[in-house]
Amino acid sequence: MTKLPLEGIRVCDLTWIIAGPTATRFLADFGAEVIRVEHGQAVDAIRLGRPIAGDNPTLNNSGFFNYFNRNKKSILLNVRHPDGMEVLKRLIAASDVVVENFSSGVMASWGLDYPDLRAIKQDIIYCSLSGFGHLGRDRDFVTWGPTAQALSGLTFMSGLPDKPPAGWGYSYMDHTAGYYAAIAIMMALHHRNRTGEGQSIDLSQVEAGIVLTGPAVLDRTVNGRSWRREGMPPGNRAWEPAVAPHNTYACAGDDRWIAIAVMNEAEWQALVQAIDNPDWALDPRFATNAGRLANQDELDARIEAWTSEFEDYEAMQILRAAGVRAGVCQAPSDRATRDPQLAARDWWHTLPHPEMGDCEFDGVVPRLSATPGTLRRGSPLIGEHTHAVMAEVLGMPEEEIAAHEAAGVFM
Amino acid sequence: MSGPLAGLRVIELCDELGQLAGKLLADMGADVIKVEPPGGSPARAIGPFVKDIPGPNRTLNFWYHNTNKRSVVLDVEEESSRERLRKLAATADIVIESLQPGYLPGLSLGFADLSAANAGLIMCSISPFGQDGPWSDWKSSDLVGLALGGPMRMNGYDPEDAAGAPPIRGHGDQGYNTTCHFAAMGIMAALLHRDATGQGQYIDCSMHEALSCTVEVGMPYWFYKRIDVVRQTGRHAAHRRTEPWLFMARDGRHILCFGVGRDNASWAKIKQWYRSEGFGQQFDDPRFDDPRNRQPGRGIPEAEEIMAETARFIAAHDAEYVYRGGQERDQAWGVVRSPDETLDDAHFWDRGFFVGTRGEGVEGEAAMPGAPYLFSATPWELRRPAPRLGEHTAEVLAELG
Repeated sequence: MTKLPLEGIRVCDLTWIIAGPTATRFLADFGAEVIRVEHGQAVDAIRLGRPIAGDNPTLNNSGFFNYFNRNKKSILLNVRHPDGMEVLKRLIAASDVVVENFSSGVMASWGLDYPDLRAIKQDIIYCSLSGFGHLGRDRDFVTWGPTAQALSGLTFMSGLPDKPPAGWGYSYMDHTAGYYAAIAIMMALHHRNRTGEGQSIDLSQVEAGIVLTGPAVLDRTVNGRSWRREGMPPGNRAWEPAVAPHNTYACAGDDRWIAIAVMNEAEWQALVQAIDNPDWALDPRFATNAGRLANQDELDARIEAWTSEFEDYEAMQILRAAGVRAGVCQAPSDRATRDPQLAARDWWHTLPHPEMGDCEFDGVVPRLSATPGTLRRGSPLIGEHTHAVMAEVLGMPEEEIAAHEAAGVFM
Repeated sequence: MSGPLAGLRVIELCDELGQLAGKLLADMGADVIKVEPPGGSPARAIGPFVKDIPGPNRTLNFWYHNTNKRSVVLDVEEESSRERLRKLAATADIVIESLQPGYLPGLSLGFADLSAANAGLIMCSISPFGQDGPWSDWKSSDLVGLALGGPMRMNGYDPEDAAGAPPIRGHGDQGYNTTCHFAAMGIMAALLHRDATGQGQYIDCSMHEALSCTVEVGMPYWFYKRIDVVRQTGRHAAHRRTEPWLFMARDGRHILCFGVGRDNASWAKIKQWYRSEGFGQQFDDPRFDDPRNRQPGRGIPEAEEIMAETARFIAAHDAEYVYRGGQERDQAWGVVRSPDETLDDAHFWDRGFFVGTRGEGVEGEAAMPGAPYLFSATPWELRRPAPRLGEHTAEVLAELG
């Protein structure tokens, strides 16, 4: 088997919920040995997160947890026990990376601030992922993914004008903060490879959200214009580049929709041809992008009158054949069962799990030609690897493992 | 100090789909040379523009996504320019491109061509659907990508708020952004492999795949329950309808609140705050003392009373006051800000987050978001603003000799 690009990198993974585990999911997919440090007294809530396989949560049958924690190991460690903290420090000494997404201040209260970590392992890479970061007047404020989305402007940017925000129907900023953490950790590893120097990384989830709104911020600092104004947010119509038609349109059936984006004149002509050159499309008001923008209500209604005659995939096929950018608003079931592109690229996988049996997963993106990421195993049972990690990673003698076990260190 | 990628050279052949990937590397120290066609990258035609006057050097979208890069104009339709590009790629560690799949190989500028004399080269192709498969030739856009990839279907409205409303796209080109996050992760993983072995490789980064695995509970509900979660106003899509999270404050802004005083310590603080403002007088009743009775979303009457009183409290105050007051009492509440309103929050200025940039038509500096992460040893740095079109053509070609 090909060597994975992060093989040999050991991650002491103190993360939980979604953001941190997203970062370590990527690292694990690409071969890092990710050791989740878990606590029986304060279990990762996602271990109880729905959907679960079966009817009652067991800590080991959450499909939600399985999705974010494939390819990882789990140890149970009672860090409130002095010997537990000692074991954690030994694990840190044996690791390349420590990553956590506690609220700001928790690591300090454990005596595990960056200077402490560096005293344990001189070239450690420490990545802390918190709501507001460790500097600044509001560093003690706390976030969940949706909080970060609200504060950064992302929630506001999703919605129809004159309606409450639609926002994001999932923790987009848990995913994205996790991606930034993975990028940062790998950049720090590269720097360490070159220089031998480790470092600490302070990642604020809210700031990671604000960096996704750059042009809107500059529109205020340069042009004095806020997104909080009449007609904004523009729903599925275009902001910039300002083009029309650009929207979602109802198709035949219940709650079925197609997105269409016409980016230039050639694509407008292609659209008109695809929908059989209706008379209304020859109206001079629709002859230019400026005219189409000025008459979007009528334009969108005309197009929707056409799309609603077709099933969504059928409409997509007609429009695509003409070269129009169009796509069905796919639900998860659509992607899993009706999406030829994902199927052709072998996107779907199955991995066994000791409690849940065969479980489905999506693949690894992006695809590396020489050292692609792999799906090797499902998520770990809680504490599944405690013994193995103590014995093999820390070289702990059996008697010591047994003594710790008896003293309640591994719980 | 310089960034962790100092010393690396990146050639970027990207339009709006891939330009953030180049920025992520450039901002951390890489020498990113953006190769543009004679008319400029298509991204230079995307607004908003300075004072709404279009021009290749006046786009704020381009300013933001092209910091720390150098711009070189080369017309790859001409063989002499292609030869220059091959020479340039021979000096590069990384090539990033987001052109039509097959276009560069058709010009003998594909990975096989460019890596022949540069075994350590990492080349990342970013595309809407990947380099192969039945949709690989399709053009896309941020909207269309978010539709097919799944994020849109997660966002929308309860029927009471907007009957018959479609799935909603979150703005800010988040489909492109997520794709570039994966491209950067893939490039970094490949770079670590190269650190160890000297071996380069090719990376195929698909927007469709990047988005398809960035919808949190969406896929797991299908995998385990064969259920498509249903979109709702301003909160997570779910397998059944759940309680609202957004409450309108006195000033018309919304507060995000998904729970009040879940633990006893923070409940005591909230009770005192409400009481001091003339709200929540009923909360001294011992039936509110048990934290289990205060957990929202389970149909518990006490929890519903607390949320109803909280809604009244929010409606009587301005949103920023409620947000700060809640956070000071350990509530993970938020305020729904428009993106520009983040500029008014002193916390981010404390952290040096906003940075000043420059460009055509603007006197002095304009603030914009800066570092997504603070590195202790090799920090993010704004070394130069986005380049004018072709600003570094002569400089870079002279370096090539």
